Order: sequence, then C-alpha cells, then structure tokens
Amino acid sequence: MEYAVETFSLTKIFSDWWGRAKVYAVDDLNLQVRYNEVFGLLGPNGSGKTTTLKMLLGLLYPTKGRALVLGGDGADSKINSRIGFLPEESYLYRYLNARETLDFYGRLFGLPAKVRKMRIEALLDMVGLKAVANRPVGTFSKGMARRIGLAQALINDPDLLILDEPTTGLDPIGTRQIKDLVLKLVERGKTVLLCSHLLADVEDVCDRIAILYGGKIQSQGHVRDLLQQTNKRQITTDAISDTAIEKIKQLIEDEDADCVVTSPMDKLETFFIKTVAAAQQQAQTTSGAVSTTKIGDFLTRQTAAEDILDILVSAPVSKESLPESPTTEKVVPVESPTPEPDEQLLSKLTGSAEPSQPEPVVRDESRPSDGLDEKVTTQLVESEAPQAEQEQVNKSILDQLTGRSRPQGGDEEQTDKSQAGDVGDA
Amino acid sequence: MHSIWAVATNTIKQALRMKVAAVFLILLLVLLPVMGFSATGDGTLKGRLQTFVSYGLSLTSILLCLLTIIISIYSVTNDIEQRQIYTVITKPIRRFQFLLGKLLGVVLLDAILLSLFAAIIYTITIYTPQFFNTTETERIQANNEFFTARAALAVPAVDVSQEVKDRYEQLKRNRELPENISYDEIIAELTTQQQLAKRAADVGQVLVWEFDNVEPLAQSLFIKFKYDVAVNPPDMQVYGRWFAGDYQYIRYGTESKTPVYDRIHKHSVRNFHEIEIPADVVPEHGHLAVAFQNAPLNNTVIIFPPDGIEVLYKADTFTGNFVRAVLLILSRLIFLACLGILASTFLSFPVAILLCLFLFSTASVSGFVIESFGYLSENIGIIYSYTIKWIIQLLPQFDKFNPTKFLVPARLLSWSLLARCAGVMVCIKAFLLLVIALVIFSYREIAKIIV
Repeated sequence: MEYAVETFSLTKIFSDWWGRAKVYAVDDLNLQVRYNEVFGLLGPNGSGKTTTLKMLLGLLYPTKGRALVLGGDGADSKINSRIGFLPEESYLYRYLNARETLDFYGRLFGLPAKVRKMRIEALLDMVGLKAVANRPVGTFSKGMARRIGLAQALINDPDLLILDEPTTGLDPIGTRQIKDLVLKLVERGKTVLLCSHLLADVEDVCDRIAILYGGKIQSQGHVRDLLQQTNKRQITTDAISDTAIEKIKQLIEDEDADCVVTSPMDKLETFFIKTVAAAQQQAQTTSGAVSTTKIGDFLTRQTAAEDILDILVSAPVSKESLPESPTTEKVVPVESPTPEPDEQLLSKLTGSAEPSQPEPVVRDESRPSDGLDEKVTTQLVESEAPQAEQEQVNKSILDQLTGRSRPQGGDEEQTDKSQAGDVGDA
Repeated sequence: MHSIWAVATNTIKQALRMKVAAVFLILLLVLLPVMGFSATGDGTLKGRLQTFVSYGLSLTSILLCLLTIIISIYSVTNDIEQRQIYTVITKPIRRFQFLLGKLLGVVLLDAILLSLFAAIIYTITIYTPQFFNTTETERIQANNEFFTARAALAVPAVDVSQEVKDRYEQLKRNRELPENISYDEIIAELTTQQQLAKRAADVGQVLVWEFDNVEPLAQSLFIKFKYDVAVNPPDMQVYGRWFAGDYQYIRYGTESKTPVYDRIHKHSVRNFHEIEIPADVVPEHGHLAVAFQNAPLNNTVIIFPPDGIEVLYKADTFTGNFVRAVLLILSRLIFLACLGILASTFLSFPVAILLCLFLFSTASVSGFVIESFGYLSENIGIIYSYTIKWIIQLLPQFDKFNPTKFLVPARLLSWSLLARCAGVMVCIKAFLLLVIALVIFSYREIAKIIV
C-alpha cells in the first residue's frame, strides 16, 4: 500500500428526479495521498472538495470509479476505526455536554472506560473546553463547537485524519492550534488530508496540495514546487538595521541584480486565485459559486474587532487551552490563574493592530519545533499530570500564544526566537 | 454490541433531554391520579374501577404509541437532517448497528415509561376500594367481577346445515321458494332462522348447553347471560329456572355424584346478568351442563342472543392479567418503533410522521377497515384481494387485541393468546419492517438530503 488515500477516476454526478445528470460534483478525480504527509485539497466553494471526502468515507457512493482509504473501503468499520473525521461543520448532539459528547464517540470505538476517560480529559484540555465540559454543546459558540468537533475526530488517535474546513469559525489561536496539531501528528507518522479554502492555513502545514475546480484537479504538487519562483532568490533575516540593509543592497547591485526589501507575503493566495481565474477563463463548468476575490467593504471592516470580541468571550476558555505549544514543560510556576491573563491577552490583541517592527521569517523555521510534539503525545498517552501544574503551565502557554497571535492579528510574522524572548520577559 | 448500546443510551438521552418524552410523562403523571378520583363509571365500585382501568390504560397506550412514533422517527431523521450521523457513521459502527441502537433505545424507553405508568395504574386500582366508602356487596361484586381473570366458555354455534338443507328441500317441494332471491341468500336466511330457533325457549321449554374442561380455581362459577324476549313483559322482568351440574344427570337423569344447582331467578330483559354458582357442581371429569327453563310464569318466548350465554370461572389473578395486558401494549409499541424506524430511513420527518400516524389510526380501527373493505370487495373482487387486502393484513389489529377489552370484563388474557398476538405483531410483522429498514438504510447514501 503506497498511498493512504487513493482514488481511481472518482466521479460523482448528482442527478435530478428523472435520473438526468445535473451536476458533475467530482469529475474523474485521481488523487494520491501518501502516508505520513499533509495533503491539502483546495478549491472555491462548490468545487467538489466535500463531496470527495464524503465519497472517501462512504457517506456518498461514487457514480463511477472508486476510492481506497488506508488500503480499504472507507465505509468499512475496520478502516473507520483508524480514521478521524471532522465534517465541514461540527454536527453535534446539542443536548449532550462536551464530556458526554466525547464519551459517546469514544464508546463507538469500543474504548475501555479507563482509556476513554483519560483521553477525554486530555482532549478537553487540549481544545481548551475543560471549564465548560458540563455545558450542553448546543449552547456553544461556533468556534467552541468546532473544537469539540476536532476533539471527537482525535479520540481514537487516528492514523488518517480527514479535516473538512478545520479552521472555520475558529479564533486565530484555535487556528494556530490546529495547524500545530496537524504538524505534530505528521511527525508522529500520521497522515492528514485537509480540505480548505483558507489558504494561509494550508500553506503553513501542507506538504502537497491539489486545487479543485469544477470537480477536476487543476493543479497538484508540493507546495514549495508550486510556489517557488526559480528565477528569484529571497533572503529572510531577523530584523536588521537600515545600515545593514544598505550594505546588502550594495552587494546585490554589484551582482547586477535587482533587490526589493519587504516582509514576505502570502504567495499561495495569488497562486490560488490565478488557478481559479484561469479555469474560469477556460469557461469550465462548476457547480459552485463563481467567485471573485473582491469582498464588500462592509464585510471586511468589522472582522478585526469581532475577532477580538470572540477571543474575549472565550477568554476564560482559551486560558486553560493550548497545552501543546512549545516549551510548556519549562515554565516558571505561577500561582493560580487569575483574570489577569485576560487583560494581558486583550491588550496584546488590541495592541497587535498597531504596526510593530516587521520581521522577516524563513517559512520552515516558523513551524513549531520538537518540544511541541513531545507535549501533545504525552498528553494523549498519560494525562494524569496534576491539575495545578497543568494550569500553571497553561497560563504561560497563553502568554506565549498571545505573543504568537500577534502576527495573525496584524498581518505580521515573528520568529519563534522573538516569541521566546517575549515569554521570558513576561 | 458496545456501539449499539452507545447509540441506544444516546437515543434515550435525546428523548429525555429534548423534552419530547417529558411532555408525555408529565401529562400522564398528572392525568392518571386525577382520573383515579374523577372516574366514577356507573357509581358502583366495580364501575369506578372499570372506568379507571379502561381510560387509564387506553390513555397510557395511545400516548406511548404517539411518543414511540415521534421518538423513533425524530431520532433517526434528526440525525440525518442535522448531520450528526456524519460523525457517527464514520466511526467503526455498521449501519445496521446504528439502526438497532436507535430501536433498542426507543424500546427501552418505552419499557421504562410503560412499567412506570402501569405501576401507577395498578397501584391506584388496587387501593381504590380503600379510598372510597363502599358497601360490602360492592366489594364482593368488585372481587368477583373485576379483581380476577376469568376464563369464558362460550357456546359454539350449533351446526344446523342439515336442518337448513331439509328445510330448503321442503320449501322447494312445496314451491314456496321466493322467486327473486339467490340460493346463497336463501340458505343464509334459513341458517339464521334455524340458529335462532336453537336459542329460543318457549314457555316451559328447556335449553341445555354443555361445556368441556371446566376447571375453576375459586369457589364459584358464573353464568353470564342476556335475555331477549318476543313480547315485553309488563315490568320488563322474566323468571328463569337455572340448572347446573353433571351433564349426564341433566341430559339423561342419571345419578349424579356432585350436587346440582337448581334455582329460579327473576331478571330484567336485554341486560347482561350473572348468576353465581358454587364450584362444587362441576363434576370431576369437567364436563358441565347448564340448563335453562323458561318458567311457566312467563308469558313470552325467551331468546338468547348469539353471545348471550357464557360460563365464566376464575382462571388467574387480576395481577397476572394486568401484567399480560401491559405486555400486549409493549408489543404494540415495539411494532410502532420498527414502523417509525422504517419510515425514517427513506422519508423526512413530517412525511414519516404523517405516514405512521395514518397507519397507526388505521390499525386502531382495523376491524372496521377490514369489514368495510370486505364489503366493498364483493364489487372490486380480484383487484382488492390481490392488493389492498394484503396490505391491510400486514397491519396489526390494535383494536382486536385491545387490553382493556380483557381487563374491564375481567376476562382471562391467556399466555397463549398473548404469545400468539405478540408473536405475530413483533416476531413477524415488526421484524419484517425492521429487515426492510435495515436493507434500505444499508444501501442509501447517508449524505443525500431527502426533502
């Protein structure tokens, strides 16, 4: 078995009542997801991403072709026990509380009560919902529901994680968390197939991507191969002084080359839009929306403020969350968690809107490193760490994360190094 | 198994927390005790008890039936429409296990609620005699005619075909046959006449009925009867002389080892009455004869209607009968749960509810439906007998096996009758529905939205 997921001319045609073909949702799709990679399935709304996932899992039957998941049928319960699936929205039983929800899914896997309990607590901790674990999930906000959705997908410690729009409705911290989680799972040898149109997320974590439009693959390959401009060179440095920049410029001019000094941009976004635009120009059919990149002012204006509100609302939640971030094991113990962190969080978040010193970053380095991996694994396996210690740890994690969340709030990026510095100061 | 159980408990939680069940629960918890006090019947203790048990059980039954239909449909269609099923069915659970889990949940909930309400009804019934001022005779009547389970020996219709044939031949010979009536109709008319003749007693005439295998548990036997008369007596009452004892003595006048009952009673006409007879008149071989003589004091022919005479004897306790009646309701609920689950595998919530309510109400009046279609079928013939007839036969007959029909007249609902009825309803009909449901559900596309 070479591939974790492989499809052979997978086709799904939705027909009308008379059996006439109406919509080619997925058209002759040949997809190969290797073991131990993060594969991103991208595309505009209605391009067939979710339909593909549903066929992989046996929720829909292909009109033509077939799909192999972990070498078998995705609807087979033996295969299912090795899969974690997060659907495009968190479809949860509203009347169950968070803990019962996870318990229910754990029981479907036939996990023994002890293991179940351990994993549930660990997962609740991880997604930061321990404080509200006894509230019915029907009362949860979208982001909180999403977190529970993610937790249920992980309860069996799956070999293959299938995530459909994992970051929708999540605050920046949650988004970062999912990305870190994905990377860490892959380090542990798991495979992740994720479906998204939030390109920044994909770019950060995916090894390979495929862009779908009108049910067909428009482009496929390694993220780096697809995005790299071979006729150019980019040097990424820490923040350096203007004089240093001048010196470098001088050097480059000696080489007879042009040089522009900026902070790095999201390049995948352009690529994505280009791909879709090209497909649209060829007048290819799509059953989805024919999207443009323009969004009405009224839609974009409020978002920053709302994000902050969102975080504030869930602040008591996120306070305890995010234990998987790096260096958690070596923090200075703080007494009990107080409302204080919230204020810090707020000020940092609001502060983030102001321009701070731009710092270039090398992409690969921005990925969270080893310490993180260790932490999450240990969490899944042994969650019996004393509560108090955990909370102390969490508080410092929060500080770290708020430090980290700055770039997301303000379109800037920082190196891990500078973050570490922040934490130390705090 | 663990996954079935997980789905089942989740279904119960759903029903309880979504307050679907709560509405029914509260309704019954309030209504049942209120009924216990307000149901008076005909004013006697027996009437009060009969009314309460009848209304209480019927109400419980119908509310639980509705609840079962709603929950079984809601819990499956809601999972599909709200798409929780996406996360459930992609876990290592087979589709049939999912449906079985839903069914198990609904049936368990039914069993719990039914036993709760049955316990309430039973308790109220048992304590009713102590709550109200009752006379000693009322208590004895209630004990004899309500707090018991009596087996009934009905009189089989007498075979009169030979006499009908003779009569027909005679009419034919005398050329007295009516012209414009078919042979079948004449025979039917003659049969009715002959049978009526067998049940009629002229003044002074004696009618004898024989009963086999009489094994009374208690001290008494009861003869239950109704008089019809040709001419109304002045005070609407007639005299009858009743005998009961060894059939050989009554038929042939041979020596009898057991005592023989012989007494004259005065009873009003066109009402059911019961005469209590000591059980020791029953001979050892269990072959009992009951005889009625139209007393010479009367001035009229007395006719017993077709269901006009029965011998009743105590065969079991009220408690046993009550338990079986409740089990009968449970089998009805299981059938409805399977029906609801079947409907929800291919219909959306409102449509499935409509269909099930329609089938439920049809089943509740199945006797009437079958009868009226039977009448129609004379005209529709073949089309009917190959289509609708089968569909109607597939429906359970809730009215035919109505538990109150047994409890109110204190009739024995025997284990064998219960087994037969529940067996057909649950083991055959409900199982069939469930199999169809499993097949449909296993092959349908879960993510396809039904509208």
